[in-house]
Amino acid sequence: MSDQSYLSLEKLTLAYGDTVAVADLDLDIRRGELIALLGPSGCGKTTTMRAIAGLLPVKSGRVRLDGADITHVSPNKRAVGLVFQSYALFPHLSVYENVAFGLRLKGMRGADLDARVQQGITSVGLSNFANRRPAELSGGQQQRVALARSMVMEPKVLLLDEPLSNLDARLRLEMRTELQRVQKETGVTMIFVTHDQAEALALADRIVVMKRGAIEQIGSPQDIYNRPQSSFVADFVGFENVFALEGGKLKANGHLYDLQGDVPSVAGLAWRPRMVALGEGPFRGTVRGTSFAGDRREYLLDTPLGPIKAEDDASAPVHELGTELAFDLPARKAAPLASFA
Amino acid sequence: MNARTLFIPLTLFVVIAFLIGPFLIIVAASFSAGETLAFPPQGFSLRWIAKVFTVESFRASFGMSLFLAIGGTAAALIMGIPASYALSRYKLPGAEVIRTVVSAPIIVPGIIVGLALLRYIVVPFGVGISLALFLAHTALVLPYAVRVVSASLDNLRSDIEEAAVLLGSSRLGAFFRVVLPNIRGGILSAFILGFVTSFNQVPVSLFLSGPGVRTLPIDMIAYMEIVFDPSVAALSSLLAFLSIGIVFAAERFLGFSRYV
Amino acid sequence: MARADISLQGLAWILGSSPRMTAQLDTGEDPTMFQNRAEALALALPAAIFAAAVFLVPVLILLSDGFRTPVGGGWSLSAYTEFFSSPLNQTVFLRTLRLGAIVTVVSAVIGYAAAFAIVSLEPSTKGKITGLVVLPLMISPVARTYAWIVILGRTGIVNQAFQAIGISDAPLRILFSETAIFIGLLQLFLPLMIISLISALENMPRDAIPAARVLGANWFQVFWKVVLPLTREGLVIGGTLVFTGSLTAYITPAILGGSKVLMLETLMYQQVSVSGNFVSASVIAFILIVMSFAANILLKRLATARNRRAPGRSASA
Repeated sequence: MSDQSYLSLEKLTLAYGDTVAVADLDLDIRRGELIALLGPSGCGKTTTMRAIAGLLPVKSGRVRLDGADITHVSPNKRAVGLVFQSYALFPHLSVYENVAFGLRLKGMRGADLDARVQQGITSVGLSNFANRRPAELSGGQQQRVALARSMVMEPKVLLLDEPLSNLDARLRLEMRTELQRVQKETGVTMIFVTHDQAEALALADRIVVMKRGAIEQIGSPQDIYNRPQSSFVADFVGFENVFALEGGKLKANGHLYDLQGDVPSVAGLAWRPRMVALGEGPFRGTVRGTSFAGDRREYLLDTPLGPIKAEDDASAPVHELGTELAFDLPARKAAPLASFA
Repeated sequence: MNARTLFIPLTLFVVIAFLIGPFLIIVAASFSAGETLAFPPQGFSLRWIAKVFTVESFRASFGMSLFLAIGGTAAALIMGIPASYALSRYKLPGAEVIRTVVSAPIIVPGIIVGLALLRYIVVPFGVGISLALFLAHTALVLPYAVRVVSASLDNLRSDIEEAAVLLGSSRLGAFFRVVLPNIRGGILSAFILGFVTSFNQVPVSLFLSGPGVRTLPIDMIAYMEIVFDPSVAALSSLLAFLSIGIVFAAERFLGFSRYV
Repeated sequence: MARADISLQGLAWILGSSPRMTAQLDTGEDPTMFQNRAEALALALPAAIFAAAVFLVPVLILLSDGFRTPVGGGWSLSAYTEFFSSPLNQTVFLRTLRLGAIVTVVSAVIGYAAAFAIVSLEPSTKGKITGLVVLPLMISPVARTYAWIVILGRTGIVNQAFQAIGISDAPLRILFSETAIFIGLLQLFLPLMIISLISALENMPRDAIPAARVLGANWFQVFWKVVLPLTREGLVIGGTLVFTGSLTAYITPAILGGSKVLMLETLMYQQVSVSGNFVSASVIAFILIVMSFAANILLKRLATARNRRAPGRSASA
């Protein structure tokens, strides 16, 4: 086993009934890495995660963990932890008993058990809640119990299904920090599934963007954010203006347009709203909508290229609705896209 | 006082008097000292209540009804719990067919079920009346068992079983460790509902009676056709208080109505 | 009654589509570990086979008897033409239909009044009153029907009262009449209608009635154009329960109707136990089942038809 592939998925194909959800997926994950599986619903990220947990039989391909082929190992013998999106706490058991559940099944009893459970509960800051039932806890607290319940088992891989999606904004930040701390302290390999790019960017060491059962791009948060490889990823991480290129010209609505500056020979270009230069340039558009967003003002322009989203500093003069504006899509600022779908 | 504030208490009084009144009259009549069933009761005595316990056929048919209610409901649950589990957790081919077949005994009038059993099970296969009653009551209770247990399973997220398995439990272990404790209330409610349904059931049992084998309600009807004394009223009151007591205890301790 | 009354709630479960509360078995994205079909069948089949063997097959054979030719192995409707050619059977059939319809309509009228009154109560009182409405459902139908003998009999309270205030000189014969059966059935099934309507009224959008009032509707219009369409599902469930229950009631006509005033169910019992006429029992069984289903379909139709027509009518109103 190399350190490069502590957990590896080899040509993994997963099906749900006759519908193939994930096809020929290859992925290598290093020990101690924090990976985000990012994509819209239906992209196969949850399916992939469940297959790693063993909850979904593998149609073809292999799953290797820590040097062993676990493709056909049943989920209760995999040493893989999963924090469910719903937390899936046992409603009839106290916090203490929820955390003790797996340890008891391992045959742990008495003082050993108690020490481990107490430590697990304390580490997530719930030592005063040991005797509460899940229903008596807030969502954030329930999630901590779920985290402790998985972590006391010392899993080789910890999977988290949309770990921040059910929390409010303040708790989200708290939980994000918590997950990073747990990961740093224990060095556990973590994979979490999310549809929220901000969540993935903030938390992950590496992001795996998935689309329709296949990997679209793998990279660091900086890579994904700044250098999307495809129109899909660009669109997903907030490049609102995505266009195909044809022979060095921008293609929109069936017409070709010249761009200023050096145009790279790629399949497409993408601009975030703030990359669009307003007030000058070869293109013209009419202001269709405008909204104030604190430090900036957002514009929606009607243009021959189609709708364009642009931003300006809040301090800049306001362009009223209906005004015709010149603008530019500077090629040097755009993210080059290797593939355009 | 406007029409609306008068309308509400008046409506409720009339409706509840209509619904509960007859029952109260029965209770009052059972304390009568007179020889015949009458209201207002003639004097006060406990003689008819006492008499209920001395009628031999009542004792036998009460035993029969109790056996059917407990045994039939238990049997229905033993088959019904796994079926409910399959219906609520799995994507089962033909799930709707199975659900319909299992629920069917509710839709068809009981007298038809009883007659069909008599003609095509009891007579051709030489099945004893007691066994036939047991089968009939089990079939009758099965829809309730499946329905109530399914409802409580549907309220329980299935990922707790996956969580249990990921923490090292076997599939069967997960069922007993995390599913069963969480649907206990539903199962008990199903039991009580099944018990009351079976115990009060008449039409299914109508054709299924033999020498010395009769359910209590059938026995009561037979008795009141011959003797017009308040003992049936006394027995009715006792049974009513028994089932009200059971249901209230269930509501108090289990939140029965959540499941039914 | 054909079913102990509590069992009618079961019918409500089946007639009313039961929304499944959980969405975790959602398709596609969330495959579960519950995929093994053989496993699922092994769990579900014992109950299904039992119900089929003990209930479904015998009942189907019984029903098929009514379609047999008297001699030979062919199929015919002769049993049905014969059944309906008898004046007695016609009377009983029409009486059953009539009583079922009257009990349903009367219980709907009373049911709306009672359900309105109950939902307007304070929560704690509401619980207690609902409890009182449900209470009769827990009491043996034999006991509940038996009480009417004491009330409606020759020396019963009603006759005592009538004579005391001089409405009549001699005791009226109320028992063993359609009136007695009607009263008994109404008392038996009214709780089911009230409960159905209570939950329908509670599920109505909170401000529907005030909104209609503000828009200028009088109380009659509020009921006809807002409440009725919005509670029609509860009305259909309640109506089907009451109608089906009344059709297939056994104890009530047996005790309160006696051997003279028969309904289909008591007629069927008589046919079997007195004349041993199993073919006519099969015919009655089939009629009862068809009537139950027809009632459900008809009520659903009526409810939706009313709803579709509503906009046009409100324009003309």
